[in-house]
Amino acid sequence: MTAISPTLRLEPAALVGAVVERVEAPGRFAGLFATARPSGSTELLAVVATDGRLDVLQAHLAPGVSAYPALTPRVPGAYWYEREIHDLFGLVPEGHPRLDPLVLPLAHDAPRPRPGAGQPGPGLMSPDESPLPGLVSGEGLFTIPYGPVRSGVFESVEYLVETPGEDIANLRVRVHHKHRGIEGRFEGRSTADGVLVAERVEGVASVAHAIAYCQAVEGLAGVVVPAPAQLVRVVHAELERVANHLESVIRHTEASGQAVAYARLTLHKERVLRLHGFLCGHRFGRGVVVPGGVANGARLEPDEIGSALDKLARDVDDDLRLLMATPSFLDRLRGTGRLSGDVAASRGALGPVGRGSGLGEDVRRSRPYGAYSLLGFEPAEARSGGDALARQNVRLDEIRTSLELARRAVAELGGQERGPWRVPVVPPDGLGVGWAEAPQGEVLYLVESTGRRLARVKPRSASFHNLALLASALRGDVFTDFAFVEASFGVSIAGVAG
Amino acid sequence: MPWVTRGLREGIVTTRYPARPDGYGEGWMGTVGVVGEPEAGSPGELEQLCPTGAISARGGQVRLDRGRCILCRRCVDARPDLFCFDSSVEVASMRRSGLVVPPVDQTDAGLALARADLARRVRCLRRSVHVRHVDAGSDGSDEWEVAALTNPVYDVHRLGIFISASPRHADVLLVTGAGTAGMLGPLRRTLEAMPDPKVVVAAGTDAASGGILAGSYASHGGIGDLVPVDVWVPGSPPSPFSLLHGLLLAVGLISEAEG
Amino acid sequence: MRAALLLAGLATLGAGAAADLALGADRRWARTLAYLAGLAGSACLCAVGALSDLGHPLTVDLGGLFGVGTASVRLDGLAGLFLTLTSALGVAISACLMSWSGPPERLDGRHLDGRHLRGHGTAAAYLLMLGSVAVVLVAGDAFLFLFGWEALTVSFYLLTGITRARPAQASASWATLGMGKLSGAALLLAFLALAGRSGSLTISHWNLVSSGTLHAAAYALAVVGFGAKVGMVPFHVWMPVGYPAAPGPIRAAMAGLAANVGFYGLWRFLGVLGRPPLWLAVAVLLLGGVTALLGITFAAVQGSLSRLIAYSSIENAGIILVGYGVALAGEAVGRPELVAVGLLAATLQAVAHAVAKAALFVATGTLEADRGSIEIDDLGGSGRSHPWTGSALAAGALTLAGLPPTLGFVSEWFILEALMQQFRVQELGLRLAMAGAGALVALTAGVAALTFVRLVGFVVLGRPDPARSGPADGEAGALGRAGLVSLGASCFALAAASPWVIRFMAVGLAPIVPTAVTDGALKAPWVLQPVFADFSALSPTWLLVAMPGLLLATAVAAIALSRGRWLRTRRVPAWRSASGGVRGPASYTAFGYANPVRTVLANVLGTRREIEGGQAGHPTGAPRHAQVEYRTILVEPVEAYLYRPARRALLGVVEWSKRLQSGRLAAYIAYMLAALVAVLVVTVATR
Repeated sequence: MTAISPTLRLEPAALVGAVVERVEAPGRFAGLFATARPSGSTELLAVVATDGRLDVLQAHLAPGVSAYPALTPRVPGAYWYEREIHDLFGLVPEGHPRLDPLVLPLAHDAPRPRPGAGQPGPGLMSPDESPLPGLVSGEGLFTIPYGPVRSGVFESVEYLVETPGEDIANLRVRVHHKHRGIEGRFEGRSTADGVLVAERVEGVASVAHAIAYCQAVEGLAGVVVPAPAQLVRVVHAELERVANHLESVIRHTEASGQAVAYARLTLHKERVLRLHGFLCGHRFGRGVVVPGGVANGARLEPDEIGSALDKLARDVDDDLRLLMATPSFLDRLRGTGRLSGDVAASRGALGPVGRGSGLGEDVRRSRPYGAYSLLGFEPAEARSGGDALARQNVRLDEIRTSLELARRAVAELGGQERGPWRVPVVPPDGLGVGWAEAPQGEVLYLVESTGRRLARVKPRSASFHNLALLASALRGDVFTDFAFVEASFGVSIAGVAG
Repeated sequence: MPWVTRGLREGIVTTRYPARPDGYGEGWMGTVGVVGEPEAGSPGELEQLCPTGAISARGGQVRLDRGRCILCRRCVDARPDLFCFDSSVEVASMRRSGLVVPPVDQTDAGLALARADLARRVRCLRRSVHVRHVDAGSDGSDEWEVAALTNPVYDVHRLGIFISASPRHADVLLVTGAGTAGMLGPLRRTLEAMPDPKVVVAAGTDAASGGILAGSYASHGGIGDLVPVDVWVPGSPPSPFSLLHGLLLAVGLISEAEG
Repeated sequence: MRAALLLAGLATLGAGAAADLALGADRRWARTLAYLAGLAGSACLCAVGALSDLGHPLTVDLGGLFGVGTASVRLDGLAGLFLTLTSALGVAISACLMSWSGPPERLDGRHLDGRHLRGHGTAAAYLLMLGSVAVVLVAGDAFLFLFGWEALTVSFYLLTGITRARPAQASASWATLGMGKLSGAALLLAFLALAGRSGSLTISHWNLVSSGTLHAAAYALAVVGFGAKVGMVPFHVWMPVGYPAAPGPIRAAMAGLAANVGFYGLWRFLGVLGRPPLWLAVAVLLLGGVTALLGITFAAVQGSLSRLIAYSSIENAGIILVGYGVALAGEAVGRPELVAVGLLAATLQAVAHAVAKAALFVATGTLEADRGSIEIDDLGGSGRSHPWTGSALAAGALTLAGLPPTLGFVSEWFILEALMQQFRVQELGLRLAMAGAGALVALTAGVAALTFVRLVGFVVLGRPDPARSGPADGEAGALGRAGLVSLGASCFALAAASPWVIRFMAVGLAPIVPTAVTDGALKAPWVLQPVFADFSALSPTWLLVAMPGLLLATAVAAIALSRGRWLRTRRVPAWRSASGGVRGPASYTAFGYANPVRTVLANVLGTRREIEGGQAGHPTGAPRHAQVEYRTILVEPVEAYLYRPARRALLGVVEWSKRLQSGRLAAYIAYMLAALVAVLVVTVATR
């Protein structure tokens, strides 16, 4: 974990300038977070990713200070972060263009959860459902509420489509229905129990979240995870990536009515989940990654895993090849949901969304962790199209590389199948930062430990960062494109709402 | 090879469950069971094993509430003499107390009553059942498992069960998630939009008890207090077979094992 | 007897106009009296029409009444047919207008339009229009015809200029007048050419003019002159501004009644001039198709009810012109059956359009007076607050959408059947033109269904806006209701009675095509066919019995087979994705419903979208709670690419010619000298 520069402490007024300076370095704005202190003060933490390392900038807000200069006017990527901080801490970013509630709409003077403060919560906080003002006006404009309960089996989210009919003039996203307050559930737990919560922040990316969380704890404690454990982590993380990318393609096939392709791909996805289950006992790989290593070795022989992976790679590749030669399918993706390279770069799009718009970053390569450099990982080539097809092509490439990576990791593991699997982890007090490349993109964990207990954990899913870009990608599209654009973003609302 | 012939090459992949038992459960750890009696001593220590408080060890009998269990496997790792993995997937129950193993309530009067009530309501559904799913604050994996019911392996359409787009056409409400405060309104509105008779299935540990979220400022501890639940399915997330078992119980296509 | 009735009718109209001008709009009974004169006069003229259609042709020589040659009135079948149609409508519309101008308690500020309707001279202009229509229809010579035509133009100008409350009112009436003058000028040229060649001002004598360049030019000029009146592209631009500019139900008289003189003129000159040049038939077919598509495309996206109906007039003119084109083609290749099927189809469409258009505009007038708005989005749920008006509106809309069992379905069926006869024509160009027109009409029919579904869905059946839907006590008055009911019911009754209607038309069309040929459209007493035997058949009468019957039978069967469960439906509240609601309009607007048309037919509509005030979804663009303005802009292609450049060029010429007015006496004398020399040169050269 040498890639984190020491935390830089700043005055709140200097925060904007410092972030802008690093973003122009060039760097990528990775997030803005807040932590309440039992004393009533609040810390603001801005994270900027620059050239193979993470800069953490910290600003202290004394008790009673409830405002700071907003970042958003100069750092557009901070748009949703500042809305989230406003919802959870009641802080007002002065100069924010549109401070609508996001994860927890509460009355102006209502008490806020203020995670990190360590006090027992103020009881159940019921969000204020009252509608938000629209952004767009014009002849015939009206708003269609799509969600929170939508047709099909989806996570709850409300898309407010502002439209003059057929064309999407603007999209607003309301994610508060699913806000579980899961950040608060870390507090007071042991670092070993924290991983149980991390696995449930974004259930479809459990392994990536567990890895990012554990790496933050391990970095803080300064322990080195044994090599066999690193390889087991890679196998599970890559299987999870294959399942998620398949899910995105499945939703494309469903929306375009490709019934056979849908059946074939759901079958493959079921096989991936079953393989996951046979390997570790859980279909989503939970309980595998623990601070200091993994709970156990794989429950199958390396040869068995290897042949299962080979068969999977063959079958999946065969079907995806045919899918990409089906014009009625490709027509729906081509040119749909175009996210321009400029917007993607200025907002710092993550994962396949960024890689579909020309941003090449993959933290498995830019800030390598675990066994990836050992396995000779090369990230998928970035595409410049910016449309749903470009994002899908990135995912198809990654399905192949992920299966290959898992295969290599299993081969490496063949000589080391007796372990050791884990080392003890005793973190000192302090702040640890961990990351991993989840299927959705970069996951960040900021972990603060005090007296061997978790004082504050802030998970930042790539879903949160990317969903803020959905409205930009939808410009100029029509209703029937929506399902494709949403599926091509591949976000999990659980990771957005927190 | 064109799409149409692809399925033929693969052969039949669909499970025969519930007509015949499916062997899948044996391959992995579906749920946790209790195998032994504790030696005298430390019930508190046993209860400490579980991060969600699913274990109770009072009165010399160890019980495990699958409605709270998040399958973290700590109890099995620490006390293999008391806890074991159970390959059974038929874990759903018509009563919340039915998720506790070994069962607390030895009299079946409550079960019979619940069964009779449910049977009366679902009689008119016959062999066409439409299910509306609502996410009331899940972690996202539950939706994958519900959606998996329509893949070729589980294929619930063969049983006359369909996922419905609108609650207006639905008979069964399948709720996942712990019941966040923000979903309380939408959940009730969805239930109101369903025509009578309606059946509610709480899917997953989160929906049964809140799981690891219990005690959050933004979430209820399960949906049992929010809507009238008819069938409970444990699991974190519940496996597709458990969900299928729960749905079949809900519409009276199979009956819950007694005792 | 017919001459006396005609004279009585015209005299009644004249007396009514005089009474209106003399007594003014202050006395309530006087207002009603003027429209009563319209009703009575129209009834007389209707009798004249019916008698002329069924009886022998009658010519009344007026001698040198006007001082120029001999004027004459000719009452033959064709004049009778159109006189019957227009005067019958005149009776119904006058009845509605009597109700309108009636109760003084409706003269408060809410009924803005009603006040102008009762204004000084409105009734006189209306009666002038009725009279000039009758004069055009019965004119036997060029002079009387042109007199009626110009009087009609003047009456249109007056009626579009009466209301001065709206912006752009002046330009609307100027456009109406300008296009009327253009039409009159084209006719004058055509008449001069024909009169010069034949040496007679009597229209029926022009059949002596032999084929040639002059014959072809006069034919084309006549098509242009009459086409401008009915809204043929590119002369349609006055309609969408002119009709809405007229007050309330007067629009019904302009669009439903007076426009038919244009069709009458086309029919008349087909009968007189005979065989047209082939290219004219091709041009009319294609122009008709383009007119229909352009009209309906713009109708589909209008937010104002009156503009929508006005654009639908253009569409119908196009469809009727296509039928006329088939008749021209039949005349050009010498196939009387083709002439018969084309004319029959076009006449049926003209009747359907006239009745439905009158119903729509009268209903629109009622709603406008009661609700104070003409926007579709403001008129939601009118079917509940105004059941009579709403029913008439729905009947008219179904007819113009061409849905069974209305007369519109019968007429559109006939038009398409007529176009399908293209295989009977040898000339390739003509066949292609008929096929092309067929494709355009089919596309038009599709968009028309969408257009009128939107009208019925939002205006008649839509959810009422509780803030707007005021009480509708005494809706339209008793006479107004009678007018609305007769117009709405005619849309169905004429379809049921279509065999009789066709027999009536066959007699009327006798001056152009023999009655025996036209009667071929009757396969059996209650079954129609497109004149040519064994092609296809339709029985509108049985359709009217069968459609409700089938519906009833299906319902009965469903109830019986479900053992009554069908009636015990489980009912739950409407479902909106469990949303907590949104601020502002939350359901489809009439604008939004038409938006797919704007997108799909963007090439016709010139659709362009502009966003102003920031970038949606991007935070730095939009200041806090600012509004982003989203605009949809449409471009009328004829207006943008023909008239606007022409107007620019004309203004340039005018600007340039101002330099001639230097103000110096010497210059003016020089101009006079130059003009004199030019005249002398021309005179010498042509001698």
